[in-house]
Amino acid sequence: MIDPDGGRSARPPPVRWGTVIVPLALLIAALCLALAGWALWFVVRDRAVILRQLWGGAVVEAVLVVQAVVAGVLAATGSPDVDGVLLWGYVLTQLLILPIAAAWAFAERTRWSSVVLFVAALTVAFLELRLLQIWGTV
Amino acid sequence: MTDRQAAHRPTGSGPGRLLVAVYGILALAATARGIYQVATKLDEAPVAYLLSLAAGLVYIVATIALATDRRRLAWWAVTIEMVGVLTVGVLSLVDVGEFPDETVWSAFGQGYGYIPLVLPFLGLFWLWRTGRSGADDLG
Repeated sequence: MIDPDGGRSARPPPVRWGTVIVPLALLIAALCLALAGWALWFVVRDRAVILRQLWGGAVVEAVLVVQAVVAGVLAATGSPDVDGVLLWGYVLTQLLILPIAAAWAFAERTRWSSVVLFVAALTVAFLELRLLQIWGTV
Repeated sequence: MTDRQAAHRPTGSGPGRLLVAVYGILALAATARGIYQVATKLDEAPVAYLLSLAAGLVYIVATIALATDRRRLAWWAVTIEMVGVLTVGVLSLVDVGEFPDETVWSAFGQGYGYIPLVLPFLGLFWLWRTGRSGADDLG
């Protein structure tokens, strides 16, 4: 007798985490680009970072936390498609960037403050694209 | 602390704010990469992966030194960084055996938009620039 589905019927089908990772990454990248644009506008206007921009950064951070949880599950359960530990490491590293950059930028009250936020937001957006590369969709 | 010189412009202010931020991002990237490599596949290329981690530590020291205006420490860290990126850059192009295969400094930091190559020069310039204006003020 030949087992029709190769003996895999005992295990439930794997959850398609990719269906969550990719939209999350695109959402974070888009939010970061918006934040970077806002910061760049402040650079042009010769203004320092304001509190409202930090709230914008907090929104990005919240989505990053969700992504970290998903990637953490992926790293813990293992996936045939991707190096879960690498993916998780990427998200955890990204979690540090905006809070530290925001604190560092906010303490400076010149336009360089906005340049710092601009660079930090662009970095997270870029890392999300790298993350998609690791995932194998780009 | 004798290392701090209040008469000079703080290295972490103005444009230095951006310099420290870029150093910080690179410190994070290099250290995270080094930890991952050492933790998951150290035996594949121990020299390269330990070097990766060491590069991360150099960036951490440079970041903290520049951020807190520890000028002497910053000179040391940025100089070591420059020697590191130039040495590893050359060696990785000549390709001696399994030497630095995947580090921030490989191919002069090509994988990081050559920022690792440019950064030490900017760092040394900034240290010189901020130190000089203070000397003038004292005169």
